[in-house]
Amino acid sequence: MMALVYEFVWRILHALLHLQRVLISWFRIRLWNWRLWKRAVAALLVPLALGFQNHKKLGTSAGKRGLRRVRWGADGKSLEKLPLHVGLLIVEEELHYTDIANLVVWCMAVGISYVSVYDNQGIFRRNNSRLMDEILKQQQDLLGLDSTKHPVEFLNNRNEKQDHQVLSCQPVVKALSPDDGRPSIVRAAQELCKAVEQKERRSKDIDVHMLDSLLRDSVHIPDPDLVLKFGPVESTLGFLPWHIRLSEFISLPSHTDVSYEDFFSALQRYSSCEQRQGK
Amino acid sequence: MSWIREGELSLIERLSANILKAGPMPKHVAFIMDGNRRYARKRHVERQEGHTQGFDKLAETLRWCLNLDIREVTVYAFSIENFKRSKEEVDGLMELAKQKFARLLEEQENLEKHGVCIRVLGDLALLPLDLQQAIAKAVVSTRGHNKCFLNVCFAYTSRHEITNAVREMAWGVEQGLIRSSDVSELLLSECLYSSSSPDPDLLIRTSGEVRLSDFLLWQTSYSCLVFQSVLWPEYSFWNLCEAILQYQLNYLSLQRARDMHKEQQALQQLEADRRCVAELLMHSGSAKGNGKDPQSRQEHLLTYAADREERVRSFLEALQLQRDSYFNDLNGQVPPV
Repeated sequence: MMALVYEFVWRILHALLHLQRVLISWFRIRLWNWRLWKRAVAALLVPLALGFQNHKKLGTSAGKRGLRRVRWGADGKSLEKLPLHVGLLIVEEELHYTDIANLVVWCMAVGISYVSVYDNQGIFRRNNSRLMDEILKQQQDLLGLDSTKHPVEFLNNRNEKQDHQVLSCQPVVKALSPDDGRPSIVRAAQELCKAVEQKERRSKDIDVHMLDSLLRDSVHIPDPDLVLKFGPVESTLGFLPWHIRLSEFISLPSHTDVSYEDFFSALQRYSSCEQRQGK
Repeated sequence: MSWIREGELSLIERLSANILKAGPMPKHVAFIMDGNRRYARKRHVERQEGHTQGFDKLAETLRWCLNLDIREVTVYAFSIENFKRSKEEVDGLMELAKQKFARLLEEQENLEKHGVCIRVLGDLALLPLDLQQAIAKAVVSTRGHNKCFLNVCFAYTSRHEITNAVREMAWGVEQGLIRSSDVSELLLSECLYSSSSPDPDLLIRTSGEVRLSDFLLWQTSYSCLVFQSVLWPEYSFWNLCEAILQYQLNYLSLQRARDMHKEQQALQQLEADRRCVAELLMHSGSAKGNGKDPQSRQEHLLTYAADREERVRSFLEALQLQRDSYFNDLNGQVPPV
């Protein structure tokens, strides 16, 4: 009897919590729509005011891109601490390539050198080229950059032997899947055990440093300092277990229609975090 | 202050506990008990006092967990990185640990009543010998209990744990117990310090830090992570309830992700076995002929998998024996037959 009452109360409690969640996301979208409306009205009024002068309008939009680029770059410099490597961890059912591409472009614009994109079904990894195309498109759209002048480096295959050097100004974008998590540690372990099998190594010599260098790619990419998690699930869902040792996790409700302001406030939060490293 | 605090929940706490228990409950909860020093600063007391209160809070939390039917708890007591702190603080922490483990032995009866098994995970060789001995005593004397489990991570980091697991497997290869191709996700999990526990369902970190700080990186890949801003010595029953509520809200999605991962894992194992069988058939010229038809190939695959499992089983047995004898030697006991 009591058990039934408890279960009833539990169900009501959870129904309320779900309702709260739905309401929050609904208000978020409403707010966003309202912002869109304001923008749409402004966009309608601007050409009227300019008197349909097309060449002028083109000029302003190109200027706007330039301004935006300068502003975003300045935003990055205004932060006390900027992550070197950001992991974008998507724990949502629906994936939107344009929103992810926006996020990646913003990362580049504020001066972040490495960006990893992850979902636990490996969808981004499988559709790597689609993601990269979208990023190039957004890069041109948002920053108006000629992609040949500012090449983005895409890494899609860990087995690829790449001889090129990574220049510091050249951002690296990588799509990751669960296969880069625990299975990659297992592959490194197999490699070491094989060396032991062939008497090239002794088991006693294996240490953290040795495993760590095996788990880095041919290109030297640092561990992510910041993981931006998008979605309602409070978990890493298998994202690079070895590498997230010291990563800060910051959660955002969704990557759908995420705004630059949301993104930048997450960076500001990261910038104010202090790491003690055991001390 | 003892390890298990006696006492019951208040009426309202009991009521809430029962409501929570109507839903899916975590079986294994891990804690990063952060904020002892900040608490001491805030309260203007000695740093050591903060650590002592932190331990008392652990005893209290364990009781709440028992009341909530959570049978396994893992705590991050001391990281290898913590050796970098001032000598005074490190010595203080070692002394506290020694006291508490000694205290544990005085509470044998109580621990037996609750059936508490205590395990200590970490690179114990880094600790002073007398502490190692105190730990060994506690571990050996509670080894037989099986109602609830407390795993204390001491001189621990996850990277060290994973590396140690790889080293153990390499040792197995050296001894000829396993082959390098037998190394798999499952085997690596079995070689971790935490091999006898299921992966935690819920990880709680207090004091508002949002990092894992090298704690259970492998094991928490599919756990619910809850970061709470309260300082550890101020942790309350309601904070714990809030974390469990978070877990329940995430339960279905986590379960789905975990199932998918398990499927992947099984697929990878099958793939690896197929590769090994194909290689074996290629090398043995005589079997080349009958290896081609699918039925005999399937048979080869089954025999190979059975052989592999047998190798792994005897390797894990040898490993367990080695680990047990480490504690027995420290304890100066004859190993149980």
